[in-house]
Amino acid sequence: MESVDSNFPVRHRKFSLEIKGNKTEIVICSYEDHILVIATQIGAMGTILHARKEEGMSVEPTFSVSVIFGKRDEPMQIATARRLIDHISSFVPSKPLVLSLGLKDHSSETLKEIVAAVIENRLW
Amino acid sequence: METEYDQVLHSVAHVKIADQTGDSADVKQDEDGVKVSCFTEVLDDVTLHFQIIRLAKQIYVWIGYNSAKFGNLYAAASTRPSNTVSVATVLGGTSDNTGSGIAHRLVMKTGLNIIMACNIPKNNPLLEAKAEKMLIRKLIDLGYTMPTPLRAT
Repeated sequence: MESVDSNFPVRHRKFSLEIKGNKTEIVICSYEDHILVIATQIGAMGTILHARKEEGMSVEPTFSVSVIFGKRDEPMQIATARRLIDHISSFVPSKPLVLSLGLKDHSSETLKEIVAAVIENRLW
Repeated sequence: METEYDQVLHSVAHVKIADQTGDSADVKQDEDGVKVSCFTEVLDDVTLHFQIIRLAKQIYVWIGYNSAKFGNLYAAASTRPSNTVSVATVLGGTSDNTGSGIAHRLVMKTGLNIIMACNIPKNNPLLEAKAEKMLIRKLIDLGYTMPTPLRAT
């Protein structure tokens, strides 16, 4: 499902897919200074992570990823945010990511599918 | 002496939420699917953008003041056992916490579990009150409010 009317300053894209039998709703919103990605299987935002590219002088980019709300003991979620911000920053370097993962299952297969679906339907 | 701010606050408090017992069946059936609503209101010389994303058990709201900046992020919900409302600043926000009052009152008025992003500048309580009133009206119109909300002050 596609973006909204052209007068509204925030573009969004909403779609749904099934991952390992769980219906997953994904909403991607592009604000002026942030990208918001919501992936939910439980009808709530769940854990919210924040990821951004650090301004630095070195050639290799560094990223800062942290959980700002919710479960903090799921390293795969942090890896997911890291993967997405890596992708985002190669297109729009200055936009941090707010990622919300409300999932029933936190396996790497699920998260990989979510990453693939988000990148395929990206708004950046 | 009542200021305009007090008047707007009073009118916000009087926005009544009608009993929605008749609609509860419809709301249950409509649970699957995420709904995104976007609208813009112009007030004097200020443009307010609103985005409401309804998830089954939670509502995400964004309020944009003249721009599409994300702003500060707050999470608010009623907490057991006494149904008081708790608000947490999740991202950004300085000690004035401009949006946290709106989040707090949204939960009190609507009984919903709310995540709110808002970039309204500080020291503008009148604007906050107006934005809040518009948002509550819209939430009621869309039928997202709970049948028996917590009573506001």
